[in-house]
Amino acid sequence: MVNVLWLQGGACSGNTMSFLNAEEPSACDLVTDFGINILWHPSLGVELGENLQKLLWDCVKGTIPLDILVFEGSVVNAPNGAGTWNRFAHRPMKDWLSDLSKVASFVVAVGDCATWGGIPAMAPNPSESTGLQFLKRQEGGFLGTDYVSKGGLPVINIPGCPAHPDWITQILVAIATGRIADITLDELNRPQTFFKSFTQTGCTRNIHFAYKASSGEFGQRKGCLFYDLGCRGPMTHSSCNRILWNRVSSKTRAGMPCLGCTEPEFPFHDLKPGTVFKTQTVMGVPKELPTGVNKKDYALITVVAKDATPAWAEEDIFTV
Amino acid sequence: MPVQTLDISPVGRVEGDLDVRVEIEDGYVTNAWTHAELFRGFEIILRGKDPQAGLIVTPRACGICGASHLSSAAWALDTAWGTEVPRNAILARNLGQLAETIQSIPRYFYGLFAIDLTHKKYQHSSFYEEACRRFAPFTGKSYELGVTISAKPVEIYALLGGQWPHSSYMVPGGVMCAPTLTDVTRAWSILEYFRTNWLEPAWLGCSLERYEQIQTYDDFMAWLEEDPKHANSDLGFYWRMGLDIGLDKYGAGVGKYITWGYLPHEDKYQKPTIEGRNAAVIMKSGVYDSFSDTHSLMDHSFARENTTHSWYDEGTGDVHPFDRTTKPTEKNTQDFDNSYSWSSAVRHAESGRLEAGPLARQLVAGGKHGQDWQHYDRFILDCFKKMGGASIHLRQIARMHESVKLYRQAERCLREFRLNEPFYIKPKEKDGRGWGATEAARGALCHWIELEKGKIKNYQIIAPTTWNVGPRDGAGKLGPIESALIGTPIADSTDPIEVGHVARSFDSCLVCTVHAHDAKTGEELARFRTA
Repeated sequence: MVNVLWLQGGACSGNTMSFLNAEEPSACDLVTDFGINILWHPSLGVELGENLQKLLWDCVKGTIPLDILVFEGSVVNAPNGAGTWNRFAHRPMKDWLSDLSKVASFVVAVGDCATWGGIPAMAPNPSESTGLQFLKRQEGGFLGTDYVSKGGLPVINIPGCPAHPDWITQILVAIATGRIADITLDELNRPQTFFKSFTQTGCTRNIHFAYKASSGEFGQRKGCLFYDLGCRGPMTHSSCNRILWNRVSSKTRAGMPCLGCTEPEFPFHDLKPGTVFKTQTVMGVPKELPTGVNKKDYALITVVAKDATPAWAEEDIFTV
Repeated sequence: MPVQTLDISPVGRVEGDLDVRVEIEDGYVTNAWTHAELFRGFEIILRGKDPQAGLIVTPRACGICGASHLSSAAWALDTAWGTEVPRNAILARNLGQLAETIQSIPRYFYGLFAIDLTHKKYQHSSFYEEACRRFAPFTGKSYELGVTISAKPVEIYALLGGQWPHSSYMVPGGVMCAPTLTDVTRAWSILEYFRTNWLEPAWLGCSLERYEQIQTYDDFMAWLEEDPKHANSDLGFYWRMGLDIGLDKYGAGVGKYITWGYLPHEDKYQKPTIEGRNAAVIMKSGVYDSFSDTHSLMDHSFARENTTHSWYDEGTGDVHPFDRTTKPTEKNTQDFDNSYSWSSAVRHAESGRLEAGPLARQLVAGGKHGQDWQHYDRFILDCFKKMGGASIHLRQIARMHESVKLYRQAERCLREFRLNEPFYIKPKEKDGRGWGATEAARGALCHWIELEKGKIKNYQIIAPTTWNVGPRDGAGKLGPIESALIGTPIADSTDPIEVGHVARSFDSCLVCTVHAHDAKTGEELARFRTA
């Protein structure tokens, strides 16, 4: 039996809702087939006759072994580090976190708010929010750079706004089945298995990207969203187009530009005027290029690709 | 009997942690305070940002009603910019809203509400063993089916927006997507799956067509008696058990109700304006006053917020959201005589405190006001009158009653798409004021936006939870949940599950923990959770 405690700080429950969409395994399967015992969860909590606060203190005291602490939402430090803007069970949530992080074998941050601070931490960050071990790309966050859980790992970051249900269930199962050592974390402590490839990997608009055929505006079935509509697919690490969302699609397949929500800078440019759903360009060239491509080479590819563009690339190939 | 004070923490988080304090005398709740315990400051974050920032930020105000926030945000921009929205886009927005709400119906009922029916308090009910078989968390027959199938409807949302939760596919001027035959066919199939695997066999015990014949309380009672399949469906079973354990006897609330109305008709709202909305929505807006038994239309100009008892430094007057400044109080000390919540107290300028939610929507649906083509359904209003007003029980029935009509509306959207017509008409950005509204699963939601010099000057949201969990207002009047708690019988003050029932019947999102103190000795009596 692997004990999981799931708490929420400055959260919207989006990751919980996403988690409940999991199918293979489903949330119920985790409990019935994978030996996961959910000690408490804001929407599913079953306390087995205990009450929440006693349960929390029992975890803190070590009376109940805490195998996995899942945290959703930002760590709220306002006002001035006191944390009272997010009270939970009569204490600032951050105080529970301090105590519980010391006894948890593994700590999993689910979603952007818990990993990097997310939308609440966007300027001017009124709630003084941070992530568990990062604030944006800066290491440290609430628990500090040196934090490792009793199991010897830093906070395992599963970013996304929200995180994909399979990313969550698979990491929980990996820990429950003793497979977590097989998982490599990247420099942001994200499991590489989900975050090594790009959002663009598997996008149905790749061919349009290759030939620089742009979707000039929304509501089109054709074209790539990178050139005009601000899509971050080529610069964002995620498996959104390999492990589809809700089993059917992804933002870019549906015609919505990727917002880069698995990266610490999300929401990019702090959503300043002129930056939403618009590619930022200099002299018509995108300011931000696909990861690892330099300006000179990009210009070269552009010329070649435009020369080679077949007529059909400008046509609607995904017809009704 | 000394007065006992119970602090319940947390109860529900839609816009943060919701805690409740109640006082109990002689076995009944005599006073109550609801307080929201999380502040993230979305309105503050949005100031000075791109006009469209709300499309990205506001769905993250609530991951449970993200589509509803997105709908409100998009319509608010449409009215501010004076866009043209093609009929396909109106249908695609409505379908997304519907998919989210249909998802929420089984997820809420089984995941959050029905668990309470397995509480040991009810072990002497003849329904108890069967309730445990059906509703026990994770292992209950209906629980597992209901929670798992709730993921299906939002697959339709993902076909339109790429994912649920948190897509931003609705934009001023329409939607980002342009579904194809494949998408429409799949969506039909997902709906059918939902109908044939849960809605008809598990929930109703009959066909949608048979259920749709129910127009009155008496029709429902006849349906219940007609066939053991009806009486033993989850609906029939819940109805019988709910009455058996007295859930129809308490949790009334303020007796006045609000809905903004929703689902703009695809042919009537292509040039969206704030003024033109009431006459363009399929589900009509309204305020139902049960004391005078009257219906009237709702308009955004009636909305007032009061922060006398909230942690904001914005004075004690009633203000329209366009005039709000959102200045959080730094030191948010819990002081139940003064400020004790992050929620404002929302009022109707003339009718005072109102309850939002499915019950409100269905009571308004029974009114003869509005346009003759708008949706009309008198069933819940008739139950309300025959059963002596609102209760925990009727709130559940109202919420679940919507499943069939929303299913039909979703079918209608799929039928009405014209796939070769546009889904988007590029708008011109401009300054101005806008307002957009919808109905989230749990009630009335709207956004006000003011744009100046190409950026957001002011963004204000009033969510359904703000209506319901608001604290006392400037006149000292209790909010809807606070009112609903008054008079709640507490059978066992060391285990007051009834408080949880009331709070949950408003569809508060999360489980709650109750901690009871004997006011005189400070001795802790009990703690419990309601799920």
